[in-house]
Amino acid sequence: MSSAFDVLWVEKYRPRSLKEIVNQEDIVKRLTKFVEERNMPHLLFAGPAGTGKTTAAHALARDLYGDSYRQFVLELNASDERGINVIREKVKEFARSRTPPGIPFKIIILDEADNMTSDAQQALRRLMELYSASTRFILIANYPSKIIDPIQSRCAFFRFQPLRKEDVVERLRFIADNEGVEYEDDALETIYEISEGDMRKAINILQSAAALGRVTVDSVFKVVGMARPREVRDMLKAALDGEFEAARTMLRRIMIEYGLSGEDIVRQIHKEIFGNELKMPEEQRVLIADYLGEIHYRLVEGSDDDIQLTAFLAWLTVLGRHAS
Amino acid sequence: MTKRLPWVIKYRPKRVEEVVNQDKAKQALIPWIEAWASGRKPAKRAALLYGPPGVGKTSLVEAIAREYGFQLVELNASDYRRDVDIKRIVGSAARKRPLYGRSLIILLDEIDGIAPREDAGGLKALLEVIRDTENPIVMTANDPWKEQLRPLRDSVLLVEFKQLATGHIVRLLERICKAERLYCEKEALKYIAERSMGDVRAAVNDLEAVAEGYGKVTLSLAKVLVRGRDKSIDLWRTLNSIYYAKYAWQAKKAVTSSEEDYETLLAWLNDNTYKKYREPEDLYRAYDALARASLFLSRAKYKGHWSMLSYVFDLMGPGVAFARVKGQVARERFSYPERIKLMAQLRQVRETREALAGKLAERILASKATVKREVIPFLTAIFRNSRDPTMPARIALGYNMTREEVKLLAGARAEEILKAAERIRKARPEEERESGEEQAVKEARQVKPTGLDAFLGLGPRGGGGPSRGSRSSRSTRRGRRRGRS
Repeated sequence: MSSAFDVLWVEKYRPRSLKEIVNQEDIVKRLTKFVEERNMPHLLFAGPAGTGKTTAAHALARDLYGDSYRQFVLELNASDERGINVIREKVKEFARSRTPPGIPFKIIILDEADNMTSDAQQALRRLMELYSASTRFILIANYPSKIIDPIQSRCAFFRFQPLRKEDVVERLRFIADNEGVEYEDDALETIYEISEGDMRKAINILQSAAALGRVTVDSVFKVVGMARPREVRDMLKAALDGEFEAARTMLRRIMIEYGLSGEDIVRQIHKEIFGNELKMPEEQRVLIADYLGEIHYRLVEGSDDDIQLTAFLAWLTVLGRHAS
Repeated sequence: MTKRLPWVIKYRPKRVEEVVNQDKAKQALIPWIEAWASGRKPAKRAALLYGPPGVGKTSLVEAIAREYGFQLVELNASDYRRDVDIKRIVGSAARKRPLYGRSLIILLDEIDGIAPREDAGGLKALLEVIRDTENPIVMTANDPWKEQLRPLRDSVLLVEFKQLATGHIVRLLERICKAERLYCEKEALKYIAERSMGDVRAAVNDLEAVAEGYGKVTLSLAKVLVRGRDKSIDLWRTLNSIYYAKYAWQAKKAVTSSEEDYETLLAWLNDNTYKKYREPEDLYRAYDALARASLFLSRAKYKGHWSMLSYVFDLMGPGVAFARVKGQVARERFSYPERIKLMAQLRQVRETREALAGKLAERILASKATVKREVIPFLTAIFRNSRDPTMPARIALGYNMTREEVKLLAGARAEEILKAAERIRKARPEEERESGEEQAVKEARQVKPTGLDAFLGLGPRGGGGPSRGSRSSRSTRRGRRRGRS
């Protein structure tokens, strides 16, 4: 508490070793076996966000190689890398690097692998074969059905279940106590409900609520609302109230102040439409979602975000007028 | 016989107070000049005055030079663009030490005339000259947001000049009419002022042209004589032809015969249609047409279906023209699209966000996309709403955040948090810092050594947003060293 530096609690309280992972007992047992045998096949970790897939992969590697494990691990993220060619180059380079003492392979962690196209996955499969003598892949995915069969059949499959309520609340309690944060028990349960078993989200909510003071059910809801820029809601309200020009000014401010892209803003709008802060007739929510989807698709096609969203606001202005 | 001066020169503002409607610009520029005048060199050695043409950029510099006793050396940047020229001509003026008598202000006009590729060396040379200058360098530009001016933007004092309102220009024209004892109809002056679109120089030239030909200025004469003079007038015509079109072909012809490219035209329509149409339904139809035009444009551009361009024109012209079913066309002035400025600002924040996401992704073990979607929103909530600024300040230190990154997360609260971070950093001696960090950052530090200098923008990685003063003084030192060796 007296330290000058702080980090996000999701980083600070991440389990470093398989032993520290409290939930997912079956998975931990099987993984620990690989560590004991100092050998493993390619692995596929699947399951919803925030259930510990990436954490387990890193913990496994640390248990295998020790604290300086990162030199024997190549971390790739399919959503951040620019295409399979970049991945191929990095894998090639990494396969040539120094091998760890006593263990005949290095590990490549490929996160969000289900974001790869099936063509890219075919190329990935060839890579896995080509370098199988010196490397093992840990593929991480939310939706295993999006991983092509030839890859699935080459991997040991691990399904991560959504975390149980007790597990999440217990962990939140541990963190809160350790950080000297005051809290209501109900608040921790509320955090679990909102985060739907996603530990990363739960811890982020806890830390943000703690920044406001005592963690209460109210402060939890408040902070979840804050995490969506209020301005998006205000912009929608202004448009629905017929204030097109004001809404348009807000749109530009949001883009500049938060650095959000058109697609980011579309996502925020989508959340607001089905949130409870924005009051409107229920059938209107459906209409808006429909039109928003069209705008979203145009943005994906490469159309100009400023013009598309401005048109969306002009449409909302008319919609709001008809409703009133 | 006295030489007859053109009115734009004759009636140029002589004193600072005569430059109208630019109080903000004066407030920024004058203290900077005063610093030079008193022998203290400000951290930024050059200033860039920007704004639409004819709003008083050059005039203000001249007036300041006169009032503060500087000698003005004017160089037209478009004449000296090769790096050798810049080094030779600008550089020698910049190095001149004011021994006795008056010191110099170096004025470089039209700096945005520098072309991105051909003159790249010139810009680099200019940056070097700025770094080493002994005298204030003042530059002017209409559009400072051009990509190639980016390095320049970072190392100069940016001073914005506002576009003038019609009223300001009318008053100035009236003053000239009085001084010249000229018969002027108020309506005519208003007409001239409106057509000038905020450009004083253009308005004065038009006034002089009418007066010279007829000895008086009436509305009917002004209407005959005053015509479009530059591309903004072409745009103005195109837009009017669209908004007032009676037939679809007229609106389409307005688009296809415009000299502007369709993207510029789209930007103008996007920024002016809501001023011209007032009925929400009209507006909706107009912006829907623009959005669809933009969609067809992206199909043409990114998918190579160039035959789609025709539909872009259809929707931009007739689509906007016949969106107006109910209302009248409002009598509003056209304005320059903010788009270019917007894009430059956007690029900057997006880059900051990308860099921050990368930094966090590595430590939190998630993709940048996930960090942007799920972590940055909560960090923003913490930075903007925490009860106590020390909590975000400690996180800022923990992740080595740059100034720009803190600003992105904290918005209006950035200064408060940066100060808190500075206090914490000062209060903690080296060894305590170590123990404080140990808990969780240890692992991360193996990957990326934590350097406080980076936070303050002094370290090698602090390029994202160091305090400007420290950076420019550092590069000055470096430049000097190189100069000697």
